[in-house]
Amino acid sequence: MSIVFACAASHAPGMTAWTEAAPKEQADNFLGSYRKLGASLAASRPDAIVALTVEHWANFFLNNMPSFCIGRAEHYNGPIEEWLRIPKARVPGDARLAKEIIDACLDNGFDPTFSDELLFDHATFLPLHFLNPNLALPVVPIIINALTPPMPTAKRCFAFGQFLGKFLEKNQKRVALIATGGLSHWPGEAKHGKINIPFDKKFLENLTTGNYASLSAYTHEEINSEAGSGGHEIRTWIALAGAVQSWKADLLAYEPVVPWATGCGLVAFHQ
Amino acid sequence: MSLYQLQKLIYHVNRDAAQRERYRQDPAAFIKNYELTETESKAALDVDVRTLYTMGVHSLLLRPFSLLHKLSNEDYAKALKGLE
Repeated sequence: MSIVFACAASHAPGMTAWTEAAPKEQADNFLGSYRKLGASLAASRPDAIVALTVEHWANFFLNNMPSFCIGRAEHYNGPIEEWLRIPKARVPGDARLAKEIIDACLDNGFDPTFSDELLFDHATFLPLHFLNPNLALPVVPIIINALTPPMPTAKRCFAFGQFLGKFLEKNQKRVALIATGGLSHWPGEAKHGKINIPFDKKFLENLTTGNYASLSAYTHEEINSEAGSGGHEIRTWIALAGAVQSWKADLLAYEPVVPWATGCGLVAFHQ
Repeated sequence: MSLYQLQKLIYHVNRDAAQRERYRQDPAAFIKNYELTETESKAALDVDVRTLYTMGVHSLLLRPFSLLHKLSNEDYAKALKGLE
């Protein structure tokens, strides 16, 4: 059928783990918008969610770190973090759709790894908690390495998204495509708590105005110094931008939430 | 220096409930499964965030590991103060 819904969202663990540490107005605005976006997702009646996501040492270690990994499991357990204040659950997968995506990747010049067993950490579980609260929809996670260098370039992520968008448009399923991560943050680092608002705003402007040349041109060094180690996660947003190029993007919320140590963004796309 | 092994230990404790349980029952015995120097073993057993950070443990291994030991955001920041 096609892509019927697309959004990009941050996933700071503080959103659930220490919600009340944030100024109430910021938390209410951001999390309220997140839940509303979940209602829009449901209203689009998708058959499955394809999540352009990242992970934080939940599955991969330095013995084997894929640039792109597609989950082909029947289900996913998580979240791994017992301090996240999100109940542990089993999320259904869509192994068939995953296999179709993997096959199409290989036919189109992309060589992701695939996995029949992945754990979800807050990167995937937190967005699902807000966007798909009953966890009923099957998910295909596509993990992009934004954790430890070397990472795929912004240009490659955009190209991957472009391929994925074209493929999903021809697929028989109704797909909700979500991207998760970012914006600027320095999680767990000595600079933890720093947020680069000008970087975030410029990135959001590039995204919402469809400035694909600029999105593809972000370098690893630029992201690292301006948006922090957590900022590398904007690769998922860049991939999403590649997937829905003919769509308009609306900024639903941007809150630089210091107690959550993250520039938190929510962008919805529509045709 | 065996940063790889040190990070592997923390990775296992963070991600896997069964291994975490074994670690909690007897941390000293658990860390013997990893090839660590004495300094690394001590830093891991003491959950000495500052030393582990300085040794190069990835921040997204270290912060979740410290959260398992109930270290608050304030105390974590205090432990890393001056390393910016």
